[in-house]
Amino acid sequence: MSAAIEARSRPSLPGPARLGSALALAILLGLLAGGLALAHGGFEDGLALALAFGTAFGLVLQRSRFCFYCALREWLDEREPDGILGLLAALASGAVGYALVFGAWLPDPATGRLPPDAFIGSLAWTLGLGGLAFGAGMAISGSCLSAHLYRLGEGSPTAPFALFGALIGFALGFASWNPLFLAFVSEAPTVWLPAWLGYPGWLAATLIVIAALAWPALLRASPRRAAARDRLAALAADAGTPALKPLRAVFAARWPGWLGGLFVGAIGAFAYLRVAPLGVTAELSARARDLGTAAGLVPATLNGLDALRGCVSIAADMLLSNNGVFVLSLVAASLASALAAGEFRPRTPRRSEALRGVLGGVLLGWGAMVALGCSVGTLLSGIHAGALSGWAFGAAMIAGIVVWRALERLVRRGS
Amino acid sequence: MPPSARILVSAAALLAATSSAFALDAPAGPLVTTDWLETNLGDPDLRLIEVSVDPGTFERGHIEGAQNVVWHTDLVDPVQRDIADRESFEALVQKLGIDEDSTVVLYGDNNNWFAAWGAWVFDTYGIDVKLLDGGRKKWEAENLPLTTRVASVAPSEIALPERDEALRARLADVLAVAKGGREGTIVDIRSPDEYSGKVFAPEGSQELSIRAGHVPGAINVPWSTAVAEDGTFKPAEELKRIYAEKGIDGSKPTIVYCRIGERSSHTWFLLSKILGYDVKNYDGSWTEYGNSVGAPIVNVSNTVWTGK
Repeated sequence: MSAAIEARSRPSLPGPARLGSALALAILLGLLAGGLALAHGGFEDGLALALAFGTAFGLVLQRSRFCFYCALREWLDEREPDGILGLLAALASGAVGYALVFGAWLPDPATGRLPPDAFIGSLAWTLGLGGLAFGAGMAISGSCLSAHLYRLGEGSPTAPFALFGALIGFALGFASWNPLFLAFVSEAPTVWLPAWLGYPGWLAATLIVIAALAWPALLRASPRRAAARDRLAALAADAGTPALKPLRAVFAARWPGWLGGLFVGAIGAFAYLRVAPLGVTAELSARARDLGTAAGLVPATLNGLDALRGCVSIAADMLLSNNGVFVLSLVAASLASALAAGEFRPRTPRRSEALRGVLGGVLLGWGAMVALGCSVGTLLSGIHAGALSGWAFGAAMIAGIVVWRALERLVRRGS
Repeated sequence: MPPSARILVSAAALLAATSSAFALDAPAGPLVTTDWLETNLGDPDLRLIEVSVDPGTFERGHIEGAQNVVWHTDLVDPVQRDIADRESFEALVQKLGIDEDSTVVLYGDNNNWFAAWGAWVFDTYGIDVKLLDGGRKKWEAENLPLTTRVASVAPSEIALPERDEALRARLADVLAVAKGGREGTIVDIRSPDEYSGKVFAPEGSQELSIRAGHVPGAINVPWSTAVAEDGTFKPAEELKRIYAEKGIDGSKPTIVYCRIGERSSHTWFLLSKILGYDVKNYDGSWTEYGNSVGAPIVNVSNTVWTGK
């Protein structure tokens, strides 16, 4: 941690910094050109929007280091509140946004209908199993799938291995799906909180729970924020074109967690309104399913998957899917953001990083498949949408993190 | 009656006459154009209903004043595999605010497939509806506005008659025609490869029938034959010629079918509403007929179902 802050407060070298900014600008211009081509090139509706949302999401994730595992780990180990407040801000602002959308789409939540394509999953044991595996995978590989994606843009040595492992994990998930579906999912209830509490009651309850969870974190001073403020002050004191200083605050300094969180929630609600809820696994899992089917590992028929809502895709026969474009632009925007901030630091992976990446990735992939989504789809977009499944997955995921870390500590102490 | 009362009564009569003179000036035919709809949006007698296939399509933006009808829950009885029963359909129609004076216009995605299916279901309960020619596709292509606001419509108290089964063909009707016991024309609106028996189901769908092929004597005219480039129906004269050339001229009672009975509603609509022929929709379609034990079929491709 302290090493990272040191690295960031090193006086920046003008040569590489300028090159980084130029490359970042080139990538953002490339994304703009791609967006225009998708909007006017006769492509399917939604692709240009998916690109815009992916770009915004990648930028926000990288600028605020929005990472479920890091936030939880820093809170558990150092009582650093910045990240966890970011997660809770994202849950709160997204729930408000979803409430606005739901009110227009389904004025009466008590009709027994669910709002279209929201991540409202069944309350099945697979959520618990998937959450535990996903949490353990986060602890092993160092973050969840969305964070591995934005870290790919930062040149992380672990991320490529984790994503490769996730592909294997998804394929294993599909391979184990049918018996799990018949045993746990097919008759599990789906609990949508607004149907029980009404929109105002649900939103109030959600915000109260989030405020209660945030309370201990709000009482803590944040060394991270203090360091970030120092960096901002250093940037402001730096000689340089005064007109560019606000740009540096946005593109060079780290954003406070809560700011990134508010943006993540807002992007989630806007994306739901216009394209689909936020989720990063649809494309990955669809590719894994294709590979698994080709290898004879995944059965041709997967029971009930078509009827279940989740971010695990049913089929990817298109070259460009909304989710594929979303994920690619997320990684590109994160790369641009990291380059501009001097945070693109690729290096040769150590063997342990590769191993932890693949092993953690397999658990992330398997967990995300059987829970029908990851920390972004099932947890974030699920809680935004008032699904009890989102909270259940979150609890199982945290349990997975805690249990795995305790096991690792035990093994270390024993050896 | 005192004079003052008489004046009141005639004033009321005059008012009634005036208001009916101002009633929605809907075109006489079964179709309305996007132009007509745009001009008449917001008319109190207009009931606009979207029936789209993809969930979220209506919610992410619909034509102002439109209400959503979900084809797989609102229009059918999913347990019985049947059209929705009178009670639940009446409740739906009341909720939509439809009464005797309403002009009901349906539209939807995918070339109005399911809007046409909706039109057939409404018609079985005696409610004559019109389709927006070209559906969502044309409305969007013309860059006309969409909204996400909810239409507020006061419910009506309309009472529906029992369902008119004359618009519907059952397996026995199709068998009677296929075996030559009854005069009639059968139209298969599926793709030529489904018709010939080369494939059990179109790409992307699982087979739902363990036999491939078609009903003996059925004439294959894929539904899209009737559609122009912009998604509208071709002109009535052209349609008449196209279908007559295939041997469908309305001289005999006609039955249309597809795979699950929805797309065939599109052809049912044009043959019965635009051309005025006597047409029944066979909603059991190939998934019922093809699976029926002993029902005669024609399978020129000789494909055999092997369970895979």
